[in-house]
Amino acid sequence: MYCNQRPEKPGNKKEFLEKITNMARANSLWVTAYGTGCGAIELRPLHTSRFDMERFGIAMRPTPRQADVLIISGYLATKTLKRVIRVYEQIQDPKYIVALGSCTINGGMYFDSYNTLNVLDKYLPVDVYVMGCMPRPEAIIDGFSLLMEKIKDGRAQGWKHYKENLDYYRENQKKIITDWDLPDYNW
Amino acid sequence: MIDKVKKELEIRFPLLKLVREQHNYLHVKVERVSAMDAIVMAKTTLGFTTLQLISTIDRLEEDVFQITWILENYDLCTILLISSNYPRENCIVPSLSQIWPTASAFEREIFEMFGISFPGNPREGEDFLLEDWKDTPPMRRDFETEEYSMRVYGERQPREHLDPRQYIGDIVGEWNTPMGRKREEEK
Repeated sequence: MYCNQRPEKPGNKKEFLEKITNMARANSLWVTAYGTGCGAIELRPLHTSRFDMERFGIAMRPTPRQADVLIISGYLATKTLKRVIRVYEQIQDPKYIVALGSCTINGGMYFDSYNTLNVLDKYLPVDVYVMGCMPRPEAIIDGFSLLMEKIKDGRAQGWKHYKENLDYYRENQKKIITDWDLPDYNW
Repeated sequence: MIDKVKKELEIRFPLLKLVREQHNYLHVKVERVSAMDAIVMAKTTLGFTTLQLISTIDRLEEDVFQITWILENYDLCTILLISSNYPRENCIVPSLSQIWPTASAFEREIFEMFGISFPGNPREGEDFLLEDWKDTPPMRRDFETEEYSMRVYGERQPREHLDPRQYIGDIVGEWNTPMGRKREEEK
């Protein structure tokens, strides 16, 4: 059944414990196999033998419940945003978002489209942006190594920010998804 | 063989206009009243048994929608395009879903994108691609797509300078990916 309560505030662990867990988190990033736009094409060479992202401990998982990272690969339609919110909130804490391509930054070539949103950061907390249209697998690997650094330093706190500012994000999400039929809290 | 098709159509519909002709391709324009008769005749007596597509052009200057039915005869490998003009305001076009069940999907899409209604279609008005669309149908020429995008998804941040390093630094707050740092160390 759906959870009908607001998310609990994340508790603070002891600092040295947090550091050790962050080390472990950074070296086993599991990605939800969910492609939203054209960038999903670039993920195929990335996780198969040519660029092989499993050398960095990054693996594809079939369900959000087993994953830590959600890749928003390219443009995001309002219709897809509804599904993405559902997937993102189903992921267990801690969770990170990597956004690919210029479409997620400022709309890119779809800036005047009637159906794709322009700035992703208003609706979901993004930890790492990867520039390009589309970014090559090398650039995505670069982005992932930046994410690993951020996690090790304890700077990838997007998920905490999302929980603390849930009202702000919900307001923005409901502004463009007019037929909101999701439960209010999805975790 | 295309000559035979043309001759048969010209006998039945004297007001028919020829748009384009090739050895395996014929595009004709018929009066609004006789469009359905021409399609039924092409199917029953001329052997154009497949409906490939129903396409729409918004001719704003002439204040009409040009609707084209694309039929194909697989035995002769010929394509027949029958098009007809309908007035833009409260546009009503007879449905073909009783003759070809596939027409139902094309008609739902046209209804959503142009607002043309097809009475007789059993699934008319169901959502096809968009969810809960309340504005002007988005493929009409009088729909202001950029204005809509600005209103709904917010202003896009313009670039203030063209130095990518500085520009990315403004957004991300840093330009020190592990790869970049390694490159600088090597220098």
